[in-house]
Amino acid sequence: MAADDVSRSPGHLGRGLGGPRPLPRGRRLIRKLAVGAGLGAYSWLAAGTAPFSMVALFAVLVPGAVLAAISIWWPPVRIPPPDRLDIAGFSYWAICVAALFEWEASAFKDNSRPWHPALTELVNPLIAPHPLKSAAFLLWLLAGWALVRR
Amino acid sequence: MTSRVITIIGFACVIIALFVLDLVGRRPGNRVPTLGEWLGYLMRARAGRAAILLGWLWIGWHYFAR
Repeated sequence: MAADDVSRSPGHLGRGLGGPRPLPRGRRLIRKLAVGAGLGAYSWLAAGTAPFSMVALFAVLVPGAVLAAISIWWPPVRIPPPDRLDIAGFSYWAICVAALFEWEASAFKDNSRPWHPALTELVNPLIAPHPLKSAAFLLWLLAGWALVRR
Repeated sequence: MTSRVITIIGFACVIIALFVLDLVGRRPGNRVPTLGEWLGYLMRARAGRAAILLGWLWIGWHYFAR
């Protein structure tokens, strides 16, 4: 991952200094493959749950609870955030995010009629096939892990 | 061109702009932060961290549990 390229300051948040010794390269690879296979299998199962069911709800809540527990009790080595943000540079992001919310809000205001669908109504048919929904779920899990590392 | 197509083009433009901003932010010496950098900056405070993680959880619930 790109996050691995970021240099880590010693003694930063999480298990940076004085933590367990890193695993050998081979074992790290095996561990990554095992975790990847587990996440893939979980995503496949979670994507197969019926919408609006308790199983589907738990399929989402369980990773949330696991990541919350990891974040609180076993925080990973975090990628150091920047000390400051360039306001001008950040404003481009703010404008785009605001535009996305405005465009979405106007769909809600129009009651999401066929001529102004909400983002959800456009995304849901795209991820309707089981493999694509599984991939989207896996992406969501990885995004959660990336957030915990921040 | 129907209103529906215009709406879809609007969403596509904004989402493409978000990807472009992240790519621009990865160029060395650029003032634009990457998505990870500004999210990390917001997550320095505990409240920001909780809000971002709750937003992530909401997205999962919205798209995968409903």
